[in-house]
Amino acid sequence: MNSNRKINIVLAGQGNAGKSALFNFLTGLHQHIGNWAGKTIEKREGTLFYNGYTIDVLDLPGIYSLTTYSVEEVISREYIIHHQPDCVVNIVDSTNLERNLIFTLQLLELECPVVVALNMMDLSKKKGITIDIEKLQKILNIPVIPTIASRGTGLTDVMDEVIELRGKEIHHKPLKYGKEIESSVRQLSELLHDTDLPYPVRWIAIKLLEKDKDTTRLVQERDPSIVEKAMLLCRKLEDIHGHDSGIVIADERSHLASWIIREIVEISPHRKISLNEKLDAITTHKFTGYLVMILIVGGMFLTVFSFGNWLSEWFDSVFRNWSAWWDQNLGTGFVPALGWAATESVLALIQIAFPYILPFYIILYILEDWGYIARISFLMDKFMHRLGIHGKACISFIIGLGCNVPGCLSCRIMESKRERFITAVLVTLVPCSAVSVIVFGLVGKYVGLLWALGLYVFAMIIILIVGRITSKLMVGEPVELIMPMPDYKTPQIKTILVQTWDALKEFIYIAAPIVIVTGVLIHAIDLAGWMPAISSALNPVTVYWLGLPAVTGILLIFGILRKELILVMLASYLGTTNFGDALTSQQMITLAVVSMFYVPCVATISVLWKEYGWKKAMAVCIIEILFAIALAGIVKRILDFVF
Amino acid sequence: MNDNNSNVVLTGMKDGQAGIIVSVTGGHHATKRLADLGLSPGTRIRLMRKALFSGPVQVDVNGSRLVLGWGLASKIIVRPE
Repeated sequence: MNSNRKINIVLAGQGNAGKSALFNFLTGLHQHIGNWAGKTIEKREGTLFYNGYTIDVLDLPGIYSLTTYSVEEVISREYIIHHQPDCVVNIVDSTNLERNLIFTLQLLELECPVVVALNMMDLSKKKGITIDIEKLQKILNIPVIPTIASRGTGLTDVMDEVIELRGKEIHHKPLKYGKEIESSVRQLSELLHDTDLPYPVRWIAIKLLEKDKDTTRLVQERDPSIVEKAMLLCRKLEDIHGHDSGIVIADERSHLASWIIREIVEISPHRKISLNEKLDAITTHKFTGYLVMILIVGGMFLTVFSFGNWLSEWFDSVFRNWSAWWDQNLGTGFVPALGWAATESVLALIQIAFPYILPFYIILYILEDWGYIARISFLMDKFMHRLGIHGKACISFIIGLGCNVPGCLSCRIMESKRERFITAVLVTLVPCSAVSVIVFGLVGKYVGLLWALGLYVFAMIIILIVGRITSKLMVGEPVELIMPMPDYKTPQIKTILVQTWDALKEFIYIAAPIVIVTGVLIHAIDLAGWMPAISSALNPVTVYWLGLPAVTGILLIFGILRKELILVMLASYLGTTNFGDALTSQQMITLAVVSMFYVPCVATISVLWKEYGWKKAMAVCIIEILFAIALAGIVKRILDFVF
Repeated sequence: MNDNNSNVVLTGMKDGQAGIIVSVTGGHHATKRLADLGLSPGTRIRLMRKALFSGPVQVDVNGSRLVLGWGLASKIIVRPE
């Protein structure tokens, strides 16, 4: 391949600016697009063939700033500095120009070639914002192209600029800060000229004044006297401005952005209160906001469960005879039986994925693309703070009610490792659709609906308590909620389908291997005839402590695969689905409580493993087993007084 | 209600009230994060609404909307207009 015709570019921009939409349009690769700021953590790459050029595109995580706060920001900064891409395409949200420009200014400090894609031009026009693009180009001294990434408008122009820019000598004409800062930068730059650091000198000088830890360490290794000088200059700046020099510079950048806005932006003053604002007011209102939330979330679950139950039953009727067919044609020996165990695991996965997870994701992504999910975070932030985390975690909880697997995966939206882990642990305690099957199929049907609903309230209280305890145990300060509130917009069908497909694929990839392996393993133990021994070994717990029939030991082991198997297998063991004949009300409630908390199902364990390492995953499992057993035993003893 | 120069914390403003940020008293980390989002002294900010029971606040800064946790919002000092 002719290397002259190969270009590599990176996409950088703040969350919600439309970066993922642009990436999808350029490369045709499917990727997650969302309304949660800073959601993409994984590195996504793709290739575009355009005008005889091969353009490699890398999608950097959505970030607020190039100062190192979070993993994403470190990844992005290091990549741009070390890999020196041919061009950085900076996607800028034209409806939130000021905030986005602060990031652009930071990019320019890295002295890499930048093309700005001024995105969402349709929305800013609707908001009555007029932007003088010519003037913006002149001020920033880089190409600025208006785009509407969701429709692909303007993207070829962006690529033309990228090609145009290639190989051109770029003259960086940095935008100037205030006098005192510029003088400090100059003094440091002179000292830094002789160091062999691979970064632009001006950038290092600014970072030193911002007291950026990584940069300071690097310079310290080369020449400690420069760091000393920098500290001196920092103190001088702090004396003048009265606060931390890092903040002085951030403020300067913010003022620079405001100045640019004043130069180039005009907002037509007399516009009607838009539908968006009315909707925003209703959905975040102290009273109607919560009402709408209950209606939307409730409606979502009602839809998912009624559709899910219908489709699940349909699948049941289809798969019903497969087991008998298998036994007849392949025999009932050890190997065919294990083959059936594997097949059954796959069928079980299908029966969760399509009836429940698929519709759940579709509705969730409609709400997300519309912009509603951020409103839930706003409304629920206070409650989440009681758990030691903030409002965004609520999204993971809602997803967890459908299925814990995507619930745990969605914890990636939390900013710090601490927050991510606490949220994931709490999500494993959220009763998923499989647990709901047990709660309603057993307690709801035979003891009473109020008791079933009471169990949900009970679960909420437990989550509250566990949340408080874990957030006390985990070191680190809780992170405050800082979240851009997106405008409502018409959901794009294509976006929703791509997201749903990606999420479903991820669920299957992560869950399938471990579900199949564990399924085969448990059936092998069963076939080997060890189950009765295991079950009687569990007797002290199941029979004496929990007061349940001895068979529950086996049920709970199979329940690790899929929690609703507890109910399914109980039915096949009893030879009837009339559980009222075999279990007392008290036993049903106790069994439901154990099922709710005793261990995340294997698919969820595999996510915990993948995201937090096997040690933490195992610790969570063991603690939750002990916790659930202790709790259910206490519940049983309390119920002794009731029934 | 307030004489011209009395500053208040952001969370002490009424829904819909606007003002100029005077200072941000929070920790280094949060202050810097806010500055990177454009919330620095001298910036005009409008409190759109507060959530129930000292929940988060929704603000408008030059046409872009942000949600800030109560703890953070109570560290932003504003001079109401």
